[in-house]
Amino acid sequence: MFGWFKNPPLPMNEIVRNYENTPQPSAKTALSEVNFLVLDLELTGLDAKKDHIISAGWVPIRRQEIMLGDSAHYLVKSPVGVGQSAVIHGVHDHQLKTGMELCELMAMLLQSYPGYVLVAHHAQMDLAFLTMACERCFGRSPKFKAIDTLKIEWQRLHNKGKVLTRDMLKLASCLERYQLPKAPQHHALADAFACAQLLLSQIRQHSSSMTLGELQSLSR
Amino acid sequence: MEVTEVTKFLAETTPFDQLDADQLQALARQMSVYYFRAGEEVNTDSNRLMIVRTGVFSLYSDQQQLLTKLQSGDFYGYQQLLTDLSDQDTLLCDEDGLVYWLTAEGFQQIRYQFKNIELFFQRLFGRRLHQYKEQSTNRFTLKISDVAKARKVSISPDATVQQAAAQMTEQRVSSLLVEQNNKLVGIITDRDLRSRVVAEALPADCPVSDVMTSKPHTIDLHAYLFEAVQLMSQHNIHHLPVLRDEHLFGMITATDVIRAQQDHPVYLIGEIHRQHSEEGILQCASQILHLSQSLSNQQVPAHEASHVLTTVTDALTQSWIKLALKRLGPAPCVFTWLGFGSQARMEQGLNADQDNALLLEKEPEGEVAVYFEQLANIVCDGLNECGIVYCPGNIMASNPELRLSLKGWSKQFARWIQTPTQEALLKSSIFFDLRPIYGSKSLFNALQQDILARTKDKAVFLYHLSHNALKGTPPLGFFKTFTLERDGKQKKGLDLKKRGLILITDMARIYSLSKGISAINTRQRLIQLAQQKVMDAKDSQNLLDAFDVLAQLRWDKHQHDVSQGHEASNLLDPAVLSGLQRHQLKDVFEVINQAQSQMKYRFCREL
Repeated sequence: MFGWFKNPPLPMNEIVRNYENTPQPSAKTALSEVNFLVLDLELTGLDAKKDHIISAGWVPIRRQEIMLGDSAHYLVKSPVGVGQSAVIHGVHDHQLKTGMELCELMAMLLQSYPGYVLVAHHAQMDLAFLTMACERCFGRSPKFKAIDTLKIEWQRLHNKGKVLTRDMLKLASCLERYQLPKAPQHHALADAFACAQLLLSQIRQHSSSMTLGELQSLSR
Repeated sequence: MEVTEVTKFLAETTPFDQLDADQLQALARQMSVYYFRAGEEVNTDSNRLMIVRTGVFSLYSDQQQLLTKLQSGDFYGYQQLLTDLSDQDTLLCDEDGLVYWLTAEGFQQIRYQFKNIELFFQRLFGRRLHQYKEQSTNRFTLKISDVAKARKVSISPDATVQQAAAQMTEQRVSSLLVEQNNKLVGIITDRDLRSRVVAEALPADCPVSDVMTSKPHTIDLHAYLFEAVQLMSQHNIHHLPVLRDEHLFGMITATDVIRAQQDHPVYLIGEIHRQHSEEGILQCASQILHLSQSLSNQQVPAHEASHVLTTVTDALTQSWIKLALKRLGPAPCVFTWLGFGSQARMEQGLNADQDNALLLEKEPEGEVAVYFEQLANIVCDGLNECGIVYCPGNIMASNPELRLSLKGWSKQFARWIQTPTQEALLKSSIFFDLRPIYGSKSLFNALQQDILARTKDKAVFLYHLSHNALKGTPPLGFFKTFTLERDGKQKKGLDLKKRGLILITDMARIYSLSKGISAINTRQRLIQLAQQKVMDAKDSQNLLDAFDVLAQLRWDKHQHDVSQGHEASNLLDPAVLSGLQRHQLKDVFEVINQAQSQMKYRFCREL
């Protein structure tokens, strides 16, 4: 439980501070100029305080192109067994032993992608786990913000006057609605990639001169 | 770590389907994904390979002519990557879709690494060039004189409607010109007979002048076809008398117009089946050359064009047989007209000759023998007149040795298979590809099953067959230079048939016979060999590609020869090839070389 004391964390202030000091693009920036990092986490449960990150997948979008060469998928060493959730995402305990330390993962994320706008489907959950992870690793966390493809979709359907059910906002249902290829469920990278495609199609429903601020307002 | 959604798609997309998981992963890492919205224009100067994942894209030439539509699994941008020249194309997204972009480095890397991928894109490139050529044929410049036949079917206004109906039936037309003193006074159509005679309950002996359309619209022979279309749609009519210098020339119908615009082989084949006279069949046969040109203008791939030409030969054969049956009376027994060689394989080119025979239910004795001799002569002579010339080797139904009963044929094949003499081996290449063209299918099936049962796993026969087939080699010298040959009249050249196509055809046949596979077409044989795991899927694909390349070169060569007024020749001068094509051709011959050594290992080891 006190394992991380033995390896004093990397100069924590620096990692978090560097991340915070790299400015996010302004609200007026055209979307074609914005770099996105689309991210998905697989978790042992829904409570950021008690549950853990099992794996993380991400893929950057630059100039509106999903860069497959920079896609990444990491298994995380979990301090507790995967238990029942293994049934959902097929990641087993023995695989997790070969995984990466959570703090390593977080350091990599913050150092590689400062200035990138985070994107996730149902982002709230992922952000809560990222925040908690940073607090555990570095003592404090940047204030993460993200574009949420689920919320964009909710607003879009809502404005059309649709009566929404929970199922309609699931990633798989959204992909189907845009006639995007199906993603194998509950694999962090596959989901992140699917979410990236979803974001691009959502953006394309609007004018090509759309700004980041406008997108953010759709994601509320 | 790769995105499985992408690698899975690549694994199912030719030509990447031959890469293994690691190679696919490396390829995917050189890619990015973009989403196009309908109406958005694709930057055609990006110097990357575009792979369509979903959606539909339209490619237009610089003259805004639609060249092709791109869909899932299609590519764009290889032309620029292969030649460093950019096209003045416009590529528009029709339906929202995802595309994968492969970087130039990624493309060059993969094409140098994998010969078949290189081959694939060069072939695509070759095909694309045709799309540009196609623009020159313009259906808007067609004139009535290009379409209307100089055939005047007319009747006097004093004739009865019954006579008119009888004449229409006899001449197989849907309308008659009504002529008096060499002047057009009206037309009468089968619709008139229905609506103005039968529906009004007029007597059958009422005169044509009472029900005809007087002073019909006409069109001049030198007018454009589209003017006829305009007149027809404007007045809702289907028949237009055609005048030449004020004189009646003939009639043009809506069907003629459609036919001219479609320029489709279906029409010629339909035409052939409608013929009931010698002249009619010959008239149709004279259009074969035109058909092959239009196939080539429409950049139909060579193997499909061969298929169409073979279908035409089939139709001509069937028409001659029907004509012979009409002349000779019903046949004394059930029979099957057999096609051999390239006709059987549906691989005929422009210079094909006859290879046919008769399979009879009864022994060819007495009356039966006489009847079928006459039938065979009518058909073989007829085909020869149609331009499908006599077989120099006398492999024709007109040869009495090739009019046999099931028992007779079975014995003949047994002899070839059990004692493979030199002569038998030469024949095998022709006789072991056979297909029923007319008559009883079940009679044919009995023979085919008999043959396949005899050849399957017959090691000695297969040994000799392979040994014989291996005598022909691709024309590649020691240093990978082309070895050229001369024939009597022609200049030096590569023999695309003897040193290329035949070698592949032979291999496909031998493997198929060894496993009792009943397919006859070379491409189908190769596909089935891979499916039944007789041949490695990659090897089969390589041979298939090689076959297509050679067939295409030969087809283009033939078209060129004929358009220059020469006879179609199989000898190709490599000097006329582009660097790309030469490179490609060497690869093709290499593929044949390798396949031959595998066949040698398989069938020609010491017995």
